[in-house]
Amino acid sequence: MKTIKVSFRVNDETVAFQVKPYETLLETLRERIDLIGSKEACGMGACGACTVIVDGIPLRSCLVLTPEVNGASITTVEGLAKDGNLHPLQEAFMEKGAVQCGFCTSGMIMTAKALLDRNKKPTQKEVIKTMSSNICRCTGYKKIVEAVEYAASRRTSAG
Amino acid sequence: MILPKFDYKKAEDIAAAIALYERSKGRACYLAGGTDLIPLLKLRLSEPSAMIDLKGIPQLKTISRKGNSLVIGPNVTLFELKNHETVKDYFPALYESLDATSCETLQMRGTIGGNILQNTRCLLYNKSLDWRTARGFCYKMGGETCNVVPNAAACFSNYCSDNALSLLSLSASVKLAGPEGERKIKLEKLFSKDGRNPFTLKPGEILTEFHIPFKRSTGAYEKLRVRNAIDYPLLGVAVSMIGGKGKVCVGGIGPAPLVYDLKDLSGAGLKEVAQQARQEARPVSNTTLSAGYRKKMVNVLTQRAIKRALKEGK
Repeated sequence: MKTIKVSFRVNDETVAFQVKPYETLLETLRERIDLIGSKEACGMGACGACTVIVDGIPLRSCLVLTPEVNGASITTVEGLAKDGNLHPLQEAFMEKGAVQCGFCTSGMIMTAKALLDRNKKPTQKEVIKTMSSNICRCTGYKKIVEAVEYAASRRTSAG
Repeated sequence: MILPKFDYKKAEDIAAAIALYERSKGRACYLAGGTDLIPLLKLRLSEPSAMIDLKGIPQLKTISRKGNSLVIGPNVTLFELKNHETVKDYFPALYESLDATSCETLQMRGTIGGNILQNTRCLLYNKSLDWRTARGFCYKMGGETCNVVPNAAACFSNYCSDNALSLLSLSASVKLAGPEGERKIKLEKLFSKDGRNPFTLKPGEILTEFHIPFKRSTGAYEKLRVRNAIDYPLLGVAVSMIGGKGKVCVGGIGPAPLVYDLKDLSGAGLKEVAQQARQEARPVSNTTLSAGYRKKMVNVLTQRAIKRALKEGK
């Protein structure tokens, strides 16, 4: 099968590859550029561990073909920290103990980031609704919701 | 999970997409959001030679008023449609079914066209190739039997679109384009009632428009599922009412939704429709909930949805 030339921006860097037409974005990120923060858990779009943000929209990267994101701008969990400082959501997850085994965490944080980018001050109900896109088998969600709310409040108070 | 091998083509317009399909000799598959299709490919339930990506066709992404209809492009995502200014006000049943579909992240990727054209599901069908080979192929996989109901003559797989039910309750129709030209049909006519091949689409046809009569309605959508956060319906009931008349649509059981007219709005009239739906729904043991429970719940959810739709109208 012929390969396809694909180029996109990931975490503010432009990358270009010849990819297989049936390669998923998750495979490209993990296997070609070592961005292994996004995880494969179910591989069927049910769990959200592979969530990345593509042109402002959180997507399950296991359900997206790499040729589909040609020209797009992608943010993965590795792109959140700036100048050696963690993103407020990452800080909040640590501070509130919203991480146990950590396998769902990168997906959780990317889903939460997309929420806070479009809604600066979500209500608890909105946070719960959005975060229910992702599955965690350890923490029971309470601390995750608390962490997202905490990050939102800190961000608002900081202006 | 690894995808099977296929080629990828991006279509610039509808004619180009159809031409690509014809060039593949009918072995290609149209791709929109992919949230239903990609998992099917991973399980080897579909093995197309090529994917024809329709997301680059601008005309399939618009929402507009044409005459007395709201015209929705099939590539509008569920999330965009849910947040469209008219949907909540004019079509509350559709708003509720969109909101109940899967989870927010998948609503942002999944399209309304793909949601309507999703394949039917069964506990013994949506499995890996190894699992299915060990069990033996059923009707839907090209075999000679049903693995759920022994000696059954038909396939009992379930059609699990939430939004088809609300669109049916709103008397929607669809426009299709294919190698043989364009046609417009009522949404009811899209369903073949055969679980093996649930749609009456001709080879190479693309869904190009949804038309909903632009009249303010009241309505409700009730959904039975195991996990509220993200799940296919194990039963869904949509009700829409316009000017004292309504339509009730029951789905998630069997390969095609059931549609009923609601003319008598008295308590006895409601019970009669709910009872009729319960009698005609034929759930079998192919979901995580028992067939008997789902059948009982047809009656319960139908009455609940009608009552809510009536209450909203007051």
